[in-house]
Amino acid sequence: MNNSSKKGGFDVDIRSLLKNQHKRVYAICRLFAHTYKEHQYLFTSIMAAASQNIRSRRDNRDKQTMVFRACINMAALHSIAMEMAPAVDRSIQFKSPDYQRSMTRFRQSMGEASDFEKFRLFLEFEKMPAEELTHLTGLPLSRNASGKKKEKEAGLPRKTSFNFIPYLKQKLVWS
Amino acid sequence: MELKKLQEDWDSFPEISMEERPILSSDLEKIVVKNPLSDAFYLRRKLLTRIIVFSVLWIVSAVELRSQWISDGPDISELVALSALLSYGLYFHVRLLFFADYPTLLSLPLINFLGKLETVLDKYILSFKFVSGLAGFYVLALLQYLLFRSNKGAFETLSHNDWYKWLILIFISVSFDILLLHTIIPKYRKLLAGVRKYREGIQNGPK
Repeated sequence: MNNSSKKGGFDVDIRSLLKNQHKRVYAICRLFAHTYKEHQYLFTSIMAAASQNIRSRRDNRDKQTMVFRACINMAALHSIAMEMAPAVDRSIQFKSPDYQRSMTRFRQSMGEASDFEKFRLFLEFEKMPAEELTHLTGLPLSRNASGKKKEKEAGLPRKTSFNFIPYLKQKLVWS
Repeated sequence: MELKKLQEDWDSFPEISMEERPILSSDLEKIVVKNPLSDAFYLRRKLLTRIIVFSVLWIVSAVELRSQWISDGPDISELVALSALLSYGLYFHVRLLFFADYPTLLSLPLINFLGKLETVLDKYILSFKFVSGLAGFYVLALLQYLLFRSNKGAFETLSHNDWYKWLILIFISVSFDILLLHTIIPKYRKLLAGVRKYREGIQNGPK
């Protein structure tokens, strides 16, 4: 039987991949959700995004990377939406007592970590190499203040792009 | 924060709970057909609606322009301007729709994804200028129609005075623009500012 056959309009390959990865998707939800409702909403959104990412990529790129990108991008959108929402109670409220306890303890240990730190923690907990963060966020690995300082001290010329009529370029080229 | 302590707390999460239960195939079938982007970020439907409306208006204005051209009517300059505005508006919206490329948007790396969202929102805000411009043309046409029905003398004066017509058109367009700036656009501006702030926060790293 063909491994990627379609059943009910949904690729069996994608279904099994998403089923295998669902624990990891739950894992990133732990870092961003405060309530049961948020947790479930974020989970379904990530699964939908992951499925869309895999289906939309015609080239056979790493499907796992597509799933992780969906995780990180949807978590970012969730954070933006939460930031913009009117002030609400941000206390942790989950249904099962064990989960509530674990979540409270974990959040206390984590403190006020930034989202970037949460992404790094996610990779750390999932035993993924740090280089993976570059593929997922698009940020270079050596992005830190000391790197910039060293470059400045060494008097290295800064990379500048050739701006041909900057105003027109900005208006005509959407990037 | 201590990584070891965090790892311990992380590992202490229950294997299966109400919150993290294994996913069923039937649930998955329902989930994957869902659109992951919320209405605020997903502008595809709005862009498509505008493209359809602009296309219909473009066809109507082209037919009207042709008939005015043949009969040497008084509104040729207006109709040429309207057709030009509709053509550019149509191009702008189609380009924005192709640029946004919603099916592949979420597969981009985070910074590129946020950057693209910013551009799409920024251009969408800009696209309201087309709506204001078109409102000017169509409200003026409505005004002329009402005058034609109620006061033929006033209608004749207005339709033979290009200067008045253009002044009224500009006044209506600017008024409509101000109205949009205070009603619909702030929501998108707020969203754009939120996305930009988040992207800059990620790019600048932890404080």
